[in-house]
Amino acid sequence: MNAVKALRAWFEDRFGLRPVFAYMAKKEVPRHKHTFLYYTGSSILLFLGIQIVTGVLLAFYYQPTLAGANASVGRIITELPLGWLVRSIHSWSASFMILGVFLHMLGIAFTKSYRGPREGTWLTGFLLLVASLAFGFTGYLLPWDELSLAATKVGTNIPRALPVVGAWVTRVLRAGDDVTGDTLSRFFIVHVCVLPLVLLAIVGIHLFLVQRHGMSIPLEAERDKVRPPALPFWPNFVLRESAVWLVLLGVLLTVAVFAAPGLGPQADLMAPAPEGIRPEWYFLFLFQTLKLFPSKILGVNGELVAVLVIMAGLAAVFFVPFIDNKPAERKGRVVTALAWAGLAYAIGMSVWSLL
Amino acid sequence: MNGRRGVLAAAGLVLVGSLLTAGRLEARVQEAPPASVKAETTAPAGIDSPAAARPVKEKMAVYVILGWAWLSIGVLLWILRLRIREADRVHRMDLVHAGESSPERPGH
Repeated sequence: MNAVKALRAWFEDRFGLRPVFAYMAKKEVPRHKHTFLYYTGSSILLFLGIQIVTGVLLAFYYQPTLAGANASVGRIITELPLGWLVRSIHSWSASFMILGVFLHMLGIAFTKSYRGPREGTWLTGFLLLVASLAFGFTGYLLPWDELSLAATKVGTNIPRALPVVGAWVTRVLRAGDDVTGDTLSRFFIVHVCVLPLVLLAIVGIHLFLVQRHGMSIPLEAERDKVRPPALPFWPNFVLRESAVWLVLLGVLLTVAVFAAPGLGPQADLMAPAPEGIRPEWYFLFLFQTLKLFPSKILGVNGELVAVLVIMAGLAAVFFVPFIDNKPAERKGRVVTALAWAGLAYAIGMSVWSLL
Repeated sequence: MNGRRGVLAAAGLVLVGSLLTAGRLEARVQEAPPASVKAETTAPAGIDSPAAARPVKEKMAVYVILGWAWLSIGVLLWILRLRIREADRVHRMDLVHAGESSPERPGH
């Protein structure tokens, strides 16, 4: 027992973590009908951790070269013990994480938690969504099969519609004029080095802001200046959170076992695009939107109009804390209606794309 | 208290036992010659390779691991439920004590 005390004292002398523990012991989580939304944030962190662990395991065997990429993924899923399961968990946890980010942001949009002083939390959250989607986009090419090559060609070609900078952006994304082995290397480095560093930095700022401003309370409580009952973060909330994590882990493992992703034939740079090119589910609504726009709208390139409309929509979501910044105002109801409409549109377009 | 310890010990034994069984099955899969795996890795080019456990033994091992995982989750959830109840009870008691010692309350 003395040894444990001595070890604690040693750590305290070196790291001085007592204030952090004191803060955690005092921290409280509001308890109301939307408390379940708080679990979506921590679930994203759980899936991010799983992504890092399984990603490192996959990187031990993956070869980011034209000749080796598809073959090394084939080796991982057919020869390495439980390699297919590790890849499946990596792939499914990516989907779960992005779903978690969408749900987290929708929850915040509906409860108006983005309003001051939490604008920074919303902005960093939006950047985390963009980083997660970039993870998905860059990771999709890595198996280097026919479908991933074709989808990446389509995806990297979209910015080309933009005036002035479009062609340059496409060249930067592809590391050249076309998707080649250089694109594969670039996507791999971005996927395993650049994006993790960016993501961890933004997560750090986001978590700091969450601690700095505390968790939001329902609009009604804020309006009536009523303090809702609270739950101690430690141990009451952490125990509940652990239960949610356990169930999510079980669901992830089950889905990974029964719906492991396959691997298509090696990509051929000279071959025509295969039929039925489709991006990951989280890009389906954008894909369908782009398909719906005609080639010319009032003499203007239809693809350019589509890209500009999508960019305007994303900018509106990014700046929503500055558009709807006053409590209990009509604007708030409009934003809620738009959020519902956006959700219905995204689901409808995704389903349409699958038909 | 003894009853609770007994249940926890039994749950621990089940977990360790199922983990060992899963480990043994998995070890047998590793030792077995991967004939069917080899046969499928040499599939002709242009055909998708579905990623999943293929040999029957590996499938069994994976299902045992999955069953073990859900069993562990069930036991851990049950333990967490007890801990949450206890933590909530302590929290309620703290609130009551804080209320009783508050000078604003009638009787003080």
